Amino acid sequence: MTVDTSVSETGSSAGVKRRDFLKVLGVSGAATAAVGCSSGDVEKLIPYLVSPDQTVPGVSNYYATTCRECAAGCGLIVEVRDGRAIKAEGNPEHPVNRGALCARGQSSLQGLYNPDRYRQPMKREGDALVATTWDDALQILSAKLGEVKSRGQGSRVAFVNQHEQGSFPAFLDGVLAGFGIAPHLSYDAEAPVAVLQANQAAYGAAWPAIDFSAASLIVSFGADFLDGWGLPVPQQLAFAEARGKVEGAPRFIYVGARRSLTGLNADQWIPAKPGSELAIVNAIAGKGSAAAAAEAAGVGVALIDGLVAEVRKARASALLAGGFGQDAGELATAVAELNKARGNVGKTIKPADGYLAFEGVAGHVEMRALAERMNAGEVPMLLVRHANPAYTTAPGVGFAAAMAKVPFKVSFSSVPDETTSLCDLILPDHHGLESWGDAEPVKGRLSLQQPTMDPVFDSRQTADVLLAVAKADPSLASKYGFADYRGYIASRIGGNQNLKNALPTALVSGAAASRTAPARTASRATAKEQSGEYTLLTYLSPTLGDGRGANKPWLQELPDPVTKILWQTVVEMHPETAKRIGVADGELVTVTTAAGSLTAPALVYIGLRPDTLAVALGRGHTAAGRYAEAGENAWQLLDAAEDRAGGAALGATKATLVKADGKKQRIVTTEGSGRQHGRGIAQAIALPALLAGEEGHGHHVFEGQASTEFLPGLRSPTANDAQGEFGVPNSKDKGQYDPEHWSGAAKRRWAMTIDLAKCTGCSACVTACYAENNIPTVGASWQGPVLLPDRTGFGANVTRGREMAWIRLERYWEIDREPKDVVFDPEHPDFDTNFIPMMCQHCGNAPCEPVCPVYATYHAPNGLNVQVYNRCVGTRYCSNNCPYKVRYYNWFGYGDPTRSQYAFPEPLHWQLNPDVTVRQKGIMEKCTFCVQRIKEAEHRVSLEGREMQPDEFTTACAQACPSRAIVFGDAADENWSVAKWAKDRRAYHVFEELNTYTAVVYLKKVNHPAPTASATA
Amino acid sequence: MATLAHPDDLRRPNIASADIQLPAVTSYEQVDNEILAVLKPTKAWFASLMLAIACLGLGAFSWIYQIHQGLGVAGYNPPVMWGVYIITFVFWVGIGHAGTLISAILYLFRAGFRTTIYRAAEAMTVFAVMTAGLFPIIHIGRPWKFFWLIPYPNWRLIWPNFKSPLVWDVFAITTYLTISTTFLFVGLIPDIAVLRDRETNPIRRKILGFLSFGWRNTEREWRHFARAYLFLAAFSTPLVLSVHSVVSFDFAMGIVPGWHTTIFPPYFVAGAIFSGFAMVWTIIIPMRRWFGLRHYVTLNHLDASAKMVLFTSLVVGLAYMIEFFIAWYGGVKYEQDYFWNRVFGQWWWAAWIMLTCNMILPLSLFSQKLRRNPTWLWILSIFINIGMWFERFVIVVPSLSHDVEPWQWSSYMPTWVDYGLLIGSFGWFFMWFLLFVKQLPVMALAEIKEIIPPKMKHTHSHGGH
Amino acid sequence: MMGVFSELDSTVEAIEELKQRKMGDLTVFSPTPRHELEHAVHPPMSGVRKFTLIGALSGVCFGFWIAIWGSNYWPLVVGGKAISTWLPYVVFGFEVMVMVGALSTVFGMFYLAGIPRLTMTVGYDPRFSRGSYGIFCECAPEQLVEAESILRRHGAVEVRGEK
Repeated sequence: MTVDTSVSETGSSAGVKRRDFLKVLGVSGAATAAVGCSSGDVEKLIPYLVSPDQTVPGVSNYYATTCRECAAGCGLIVEVRDGRAIKAEGNPEHPVNRGALCARGQSSLQGLYNPDRYRQPMKREGDALVATTWDDALQILSAKLGEVKSRGQGSRVAFVNQHEQGSFPAFLDGVLAGFGIAPHLSYDAEAPVAVLQANQAAYGAAWPAIDFSAASLIVSFGADFLDGWGLPVPQQLAFAEARGKVEGAPRFIYVGARRSLTGLNADQWIPAKPGSELAIVNAIAGKGSAAAAAEAAGVGVALIDGLVAEVRKARASALLAGGFGQDAGELATAVAELNKARGNVGKTIKPADGYLAFEGVAGHVEMRALAERMNAGEVPMLLVRHANPAYTTAPGVGFAAAMAKVPFKVSFSSVPDETTSLCDLILPDHHGLESWGDAEPVKGRLSLQQPTMDPVFDSRQTADVLLAVAKADPSLASKYGFADYRGYIASRIGGNQNLKNALPTALVSGAAASRTAPARTASRATAKEQSGEYTLLTYLSPTLGDGRGANKPWLQELPDPVTKILWQTVVEMHPETAKRIGVADGELVTVTTAAGSLTAPALVYIGLRPDTLAVALGRGHTAAGRYAEAGENAWQLLDAAEDRAGGAALGATKATLVKADGKKQRIVTTEGSGRQHGRGIAQAIALPALLAGEEGHGHHVFEGQASTEFLPGLRSPTANDAQGEFGVPNSKDKGQYDPEHWSGAAKRRWAMTIDLAKCTGCSACVTACYAENNIPTVGASWQGPVLLPDRTGFGANVTRGREMAWIRLERYWEIDREPKDVVFDPEHPDFDTNFIPMMCQHCGNAPCEPVCPVYATYHAPNGLNVQVYNRCVGTRYCSNNCPYKVRYYNWFGYGDPTRSQYAFPEPLHWQLNPDVTVRQKGIMEKCTFCVQRIKEAEHRVSLEGREMQPDEFTTACAQACPSRAIVFGDAADENWSVAKWAKDRRAYHVFEELNTYTAVVYLKKVNHPAPTASATA
Repeated sequence: MATLAHPDDLRRPNIASADIQLPAVTSYEQVDNEILAVLKPTKAWFASLMLAIACLGLGAFSWIYQIHQGLGVAGYNPPVMWGVYIITFVFWVGIGHAGTLISAILYLFRAGFRTTIYRAAEAMTVFAVMTAGLFPIIHIGRPWKFFWLIPYPNWRLIWPNFKSPLVWDVFAITTYLTISTTFLFVGLIPDIAVLRDRETNPIRRKILGFLSFGWRNTEREWRHFARAYLFLAAFSTPLVLSVHSVVSFDFAMGIVPGWHTTIFPPYFVAGAIFSGFAMVWTIIIPMRRWFGLRHYVTLNHLDASAKMVLFTSLVVGLAYMIEFFIAWYGGVKYEQDYFWNRVFGQWWWAAWIMLTCNMILPLSLFSQKLRRNPTWLWILSIFINIGMWFERFVIVVPSLSHDVEPWQWSSYMPTWVDYGLLIGSFGWFFMWFLLFVKQLPVMALAEIKEIIPPKMKHTHSHGGH
Repeated sequence: MMGVFSELDSTVEAIEELKQRKMGDLTVFSPTPRHELEHAVHPPMSGVRKFTLIGALSGVCFGFWIAIWGSNYWPLVVGGKAISTWLPYVVFGFEVMVMVGALSTVFGMFYLAGIPRLTMTVGYDPRFSRGSYGIFCECAPEQLVEAESILRRHGAVEVRGEK
């Protein structure tokens, strides 16, 4: 065990490769000597803890671990092929996400393989950061810490950690204490601290579970529980489940100045002025008059009366307080009181099984206090890990400037960001998928975190680094009996054996090490006296969060579910506002606040009050990598105002808006027309109408439809062509299209149902598809033409409609005019919105097929509309003839590493799915219903010599969907759930009148109009 | 009765096109001398050839760049997946229709005014189809795989999809190119013999002798020649009509609003003849002036062809109107939205360029004064060429940009690569034509000799029969 | 014996006389096809049409065959259409018919007109392609004198004997 010792004092081990390190850990972890015996070459390919005999090249291994992309701590199952993580999927066993996974969680892979990650330790020499060795870096760190300790300055050293749950915070505090350093600040710019505090006080739980199913009415006061407020995935699961009940599903009212994704999923929208929510809550609680509330909110009093009546009448309601105003704390308290008064606590609001995600999170206020201390020169040393306060704080805080006053700054971040770029020493941490750890998302359940593969770069887990440093200090070494952080985790759950037993699900009962967050010292800052006719709402981007996702092309290319903007920052304003200052979509406007100003293209958004502007946070980084530079940084507009709990007041800034010298930018959006023009693509029906049986869809009979019999299941001439000799029962040689053929291919009809009552438009399916099918992102500024590019900048390709998303989320406004002509009516501000995921419909009579001159697309016996990449010559006729416009063309060599348009710069290409071709330039591609998964399942069952079980597997989009709206399977077999759903009374096909016999069946969305009001479908 | 053909005799009673004669041409020798005089290269000719080659160079560069970079360098804006290349393809195929029409159909109809223009028109046809044929290849994503559209024998016996209109195109265009080339060349054989016999340079003489297949002007040769020519004409006549019908199937077979129309075949054929004649004017009118051939292509010839243009223009205009009517009358929402967007919405400018150039301006040809005014005809021909290019633009782009799926509605803006290839196509076309006019007789010597009175001993038996 | 004429009618008369005097077989040259000459010689009907018919028939057959056989060889369903769709395949039948038919017509013409030929053989004069007519009369030596006199009488600009 010589290696072992050398590893145990990691600091001094020079030449030890990470994989040897892991191997030895494997040995000490009793993972049998097999690992040790395996040959070097194989070893390279073998992920940690799997002995070679378990790994078959070309066959995936799956590792359960915990997602670290946000505080929620969802469970992951990471698919690893030949030692490389290729797909992150939800862990079905996990209490938080139950197998679902949001776009950000899936993009963790692009954090792991991010081309801009630090590849080794760095230290500052002059102005530049230069590469160095771990020995050197660790010596510097030890020396500095020793210095601090000896001088007794420890108490003034600050450690800012990206908030995460589990044992690490406590472990960290322990190590820090060893050097006399105060407990660290666990910072999360996304945490709604005011709500947390109020909940804690009111319910005794910071984040109670919300049981939407138990509610008959949901009222959200700016609580965007589907995008950015709390824990998106579990909340969306619960919400979709409730709405999916159709009958007895809760009605949902959204109160807020801007309709977020959550707001668009509401049945009714009450556009209350920012800051007036409290008045409305009081009106409901009887503490104020509806008239006064309506006055304050700037809406018709009828709306408030209706709301009050409904809440008072509701059997069980779920009232949720969000709001990023300065009074967020007060609002949350008032709402909590109201919930208590209405007896919702325990019914819809369940503190008992709450989430611990935000335990001990520090707010904006601590960052400001820290900045002040740094400015005062009181901070001798600053350590940062993953948190990026230099970017996620208001300019008034002046964090970056303050850092300059700190003599020595250390960062443990593994990717560059604004804060890290100012540091003197960088000790890159492992990515979450390379690290050990644990989380306690719900009380008593530990969700373990284990490495899924060999580290991509020469990084080291911060915990191990700290351990090494501590052990290097004789006075501390005694405290740490375990070799490394894995040992620590094992020791917490009773030893290695327990750990090994727990790892298959990564779930074990137990509690994470508890820590006491440092008492808050600073007092809140209230907004300065502000001027400006508009209130500016800066909101957390549903795709990029507070900005931490900005360097992941998948997230940059994922259209915002509401605005459908990607790669760009826009100033959202109501059409009336746009008219008032005389701008149209894309014309540059300048928003000016007390803090700063921002110039960006205008975008009219009908879901916004005319006296309010909105800008998404998260873009416009200066030092966070190549993709993160897209767009503008809205944090620069923030006034350093805070709410009662010290959270940043994102919606309390006054702003002025002027047109910027008539310049124009193309809006980077995937939206063509935002209206359906009465074409019935995304259909909705009001519940009363549905109950009255008015949906009566069934299957219509059309002129000139195929005369021959269809296969069972979906109405589709899959196996016998509609008119030809294959239709004639006694015709010979139907080949594979014969249902009697030995292959049995024609017996199946792969199909999909999508329940629009559940779909919230969150777009997780889109990212899942990118990850599964190696879809290139095309929006980077260097992915356009090389010579005389006629359009430049981020999103240039997208402005030409060249995004490649095989599945896209269409968002249709149900309005009778162009959005730019919508006027705001305080009495009736409401409008319906329908989301619909659109992908290849795998038509039985596919218009794209007969026009292809080379059979590059044809109809497979199992109902798939097949695309043969290497037969395609690229006439693009198929796309022209596709009514759904779901075929995507490779305009450039996105898959060719030698080109500027290459979409997978090393090591991003490590993520590519080996089962799926990376398409070359000049060919057409489209949704395949994840044919590689179909084949895999078919091979598996044939190897195991059995029949395929109903719902045995599913597509990437269905698997990820946090609404569980997508169901995939064999419509020709009654036992598959898709066959049942396809017969639902809400079922319909898009453009059925075109006789395409699609294999994708949509279930109408169900609207829940106000009890009194008539159906609004 | 013959007519004088001097430019400055204006208003004439209308003449049946079959009666058009060449009073200013009196002897066989004159025909040879005057028409073969054209073959002498001039400075202006070299200059224009250089210009054409320069344009071709630009096109070649654009194409090479596009092949290397990918089609993204062109202006495609999905779902507008077809653009300038397909438009230009249809444009040139259309141009290519006048030649065979004049030489074949008008031959069968004994329309005398074809005699002096058909050779140039046929050459134009061949070169236009050569140009058109390039564009499907330029347009596809993997041009090096183009041969996959051709049913060539291969060891796995993989055949193209014979149900695809694009494969129909391959057959139609190939046949058309072959036949029009054959037609042109067969007609040339006797004239090459004339060149051969006039040629002094032994090497050129050998070459010409080879090209003329040793034609001897014997009565026996003429007999079979005339027969074969008749059958070729009989074949070409339906071919002309079929080719552009097949091209129109590319659109008519699609379910795209604005494409899915049964009127397309006749509409396209009429448009093709229309544009073809326009291009003939664009070429012939300067030619008759610069080469001093005004007494061959007389005002009567132009007048007769102008009537043809007017007629086809009316047919095309009617087709436009019927499209609108059916869109309204058919009551299909997609069609109605689309046509509204085409004419009054997003694409109004393109639609109105088309309507003005193809429908309104040609109405001027109702006036005989203008029909007999070469300058006006030439200006008009330019307008028609532009209008017909935009007709194809209006068919291809607005339909795709405004399909049934509103979420995917888009716009379209060509890039310099598109324009480069468009210009290049003109360079390619005119390069060939310019080379042609200086190598081979631009008018059919033998046929002109056929219609001018032969020399007689006894003048009373003039025009004996 | 070869006579070169510059007028059409005199040529015709010469031909007629030579024919009624049975002066061997004649080859008539003219710069352009004239009915007058054809009438004078009244030759048999041209056989080109046979070639045309055969070519066209084989063409249409091949066109249909390649399309139908090619479709059936890999029976792939596209757009729910029949594997062999007869109607659209008319396009192939027609186009190939035209192609083969026309080419065989040209071949027929070459074959019957005896071209291409590499040498000019006897009895050709460049003037024939320009403006003059010619009569080449292959007759027995004893008729030469008479033939020459006939040609001259009808006003041949030049009469010469050719071997």
